[in-house]
Amino acid sequence: METELTKSTFSCKLGILSRPDGSAILSKDNTTVIAGIYGPIEVKLQKLLIDKASVECHYRPKSGLPGIEDRMHESIIRNTCEASLVASLHPRTAVLVAIQELQNSGQLISCAVNAVCLACLHAGIDMKFMFGAVTCFSNGVEMSLNPPAQTHIKAVFVFVFDSTEKRVIASHTKGIFTKEQFEEAVELCRSGSDQVFDYYKKVLTN
Amino acid sequence: MSQIEFVLPGQVVKDVKSVRGVTILGPGLRQNEDQPNTICVTQPGKLYFKSPNVYWIEGNRNRYIPKKYDLVVGVIVKKSGDMLKVDIGSAEHASLSLLAFEGATKKQKPDVQVGDIVYAKLLNAHREMEPELVCVDSYYRAGTLGVLSNDGFLMNISLTLAQKLLDIQNPLLRSLGKRFCYEIAVGVNGKLWINARKTKDVLNLMKVFQITDQNAKTDLSEVNKSIL
Amino acid sequence: MSDGYKTLHPVKYYREFLSQGIRPDGREFNTFRPILLNVGSINTADGSAIAKVGNTTVVCGIKAELCKPKPDAPDCGFVVPNLELPPLCSAKFRPGPPSDQAQVLTQLIAEIITNSNCIDLRDLCIVRDKLAWCLFVDFVCLDFDGAVVDAAVVSLLGALKTVKLPLVEYDPALESTQVFLEEKKPIKLHSMPVSTTFAVFEDKIILKDPTLEEETLCSGVFTIVLKDDELCCVHKPGGSPLAPEELVKCIDESKLRTPLISSLIATTLKS
Repeated sequence: METELTKSTFSCKLGILSRPDGSAILSKDNTTVIAGIYGPIEVKLQKLLIDKASVECHYRPKSGLPGIEDRMHESIIRNTCEASLVASLHPRTAVLVAIQELQNSGQLISCAVNAVCLACLHAGIDMKFMFGAVTCFSNGVEMSLNPPAQTHIKAVFVFVFDSTEKRVIASHTKGIFTKEQFEEAVELCRSGSDQVFDYYKKVLTN
Repeated sequence: MSQIEFVLPGQVVKDVKSVRGVTILGPGLRQNEDQPNTICVTQPGKLYFKSPNVYWIEGNRNRYIPKKYDLVVGVIVKKSGDMLKVDIGSAEHASLSLLAFEGATKKQKPDVQVGDIVYAKLLNAHREMEPELVCVDSYYRAGTLGVLSNDGFLMNISLTLAQKLLDIQNPLLRSLGKRFCYEIAVGVNGKLWINARKTKDVLNLMKVFQITDQNAKTDLSEVNKSIL
Repeated sequence: MSDGYKTLHPVKYYREFLSQGIRPDGREFNTFRPILLNVGSINTADGSAIAKVGNTTVVCGIKAELCKPKPDAPDCGFVVPNLELPPLCSAKFRPGPPSDQAQVLTQLIAEIITNSNCIDLRDLCIVRDKLAWCLFVDFVCLDFDGAVVDAAVVSLLGALKTVKLPLVEYDPALESTQVFLEEKKPIKLHSMPVSTTFAVFEDKIILKDPTLEEETLCSGVFTIVLKDDELCCVHKPGGSPLAPEELVKCIDESKLRTPLISSLIATTLKS
């Protein structure tokens, strides 16, 4: 079983865009995503919430217009941000999250989620905790955090964890698996998330 | 004042010092309800402590959050009746009454147009309400507040740089003064108004601030040397 | 009196109920709402069903059309789901292009269909590389009262059970097709996905099969889809964080629903 996320594959740069309040470009295993955060900014009357900031998320694929799969990514990222940001500090405002996919070689959701977290950290927006996403692959027998080269993949799991107690914020699965495999995958990703949070720290202190 | 460590959101700071149960928390920190004597970090940055009981975080925030009594530079974006709407870089436009200028009366109002730049003080800033600006102090005197001349230039800088420029011990503005003759108004909201005799000087000064902004981490005095 | 209190302090109202271990509609935390299923309700569709979970009502209609398979999958047919949330079902929705929520739900149902493998796309192929069935699975929500996915999946199963496809003959020489409407065959269902939605109230209490009111007040909603003894989807799009143990407990809870739904479908089809 591979439990090491190969660390060197992450690369990131903060503040590459000048207009947003916070931005990050993150690439992992040739999957590259840019995320930008604006906020708190003026809110459209339709989306105004009187007790907290509303989070808007826009996901742009590499080419063409966003499809329904991208809408699902948007909903995962938006709900994750809603859970993690201290939205009650800025009522009647909006936080805008924009994501641009640059290259996709798998593990797109986890890369996008991590890029958004780095952008949030760069913007210095108030957060209850950080969040980190880890993808895990199963071929029915073994679990691995890195995509297996040849073997047939039976299930793919994406989990987003919070940085304080390592609980599951979001989960997205593909394929068929048993309850035991699910538990195993959560545990594996949970230990893998440590490396993501360590990486965040490394990026920010540099 | 002492710097403790670099912290990240979600981290919990233990053994918090308090005076008679009171701890003063600055930006980026939150009371932890679950455990007494601890605080939660909500922003990445360096944690500072000032005895006996003050804690705050210095990170780089890019979006201005209005605070009461802050001195800001803003642009008039709308004029309706006696009220002006001013863009101060926060989520919501701030309001400024035409009567909140020195010597203004119902009959005699100052001449302020859309697009003008003002240096004003936040009278009111609460997250549930629209921020409110005034251009007079509590004795109805303008002092340095008011409309800034249209000959000047406005530029945006980071909040961190604005704080640094406002630090009275900062040598940058003084040493620039040896070289150029200029007027400047720095708002804590990251907007900066600048005017000089020659446009060339203004452009040079703007370049200086841009460079300092980009090299936020390098010491300002070194930037000084390289320019002068 | 209680109505006014509910409108003014909805969260407090719920908190007080839940602290007594009961929900305002009289259910316990882990009881389902009653499910009703009616099959073959639409004559013009090839297969149809109406499912009602509590107040949530979803109509599913399946229309089969002939088409050419894609070159990269020459022996596969198509299943195209689409879920509509018309303004009729809730005041939240306006007429116009499908809302974000409708698109997300459509995608979730599409993933449930592919993950669970309930229809083998190869069964839908008639002649390799030439002719295949395309099943348009349309869902219309008539009453939006929480746990729409659960109702949609039940109605999907009901509708799939009633689908009958006519016999098609293809003449490769003339490239002509002949449809025999008299001879109809049902399609084979390989598995039975059963979905259960949960809502998390104030990071602690987990409510099973939530109503819309509960979904909006709660800080997170997640859906678990089981296929017999295996899982085919654990979809939690953010919301309040949960410990993995709690998720696993919910998986066990949702297993209770599978026999209920299979007996429901069996009795509905018999009558």
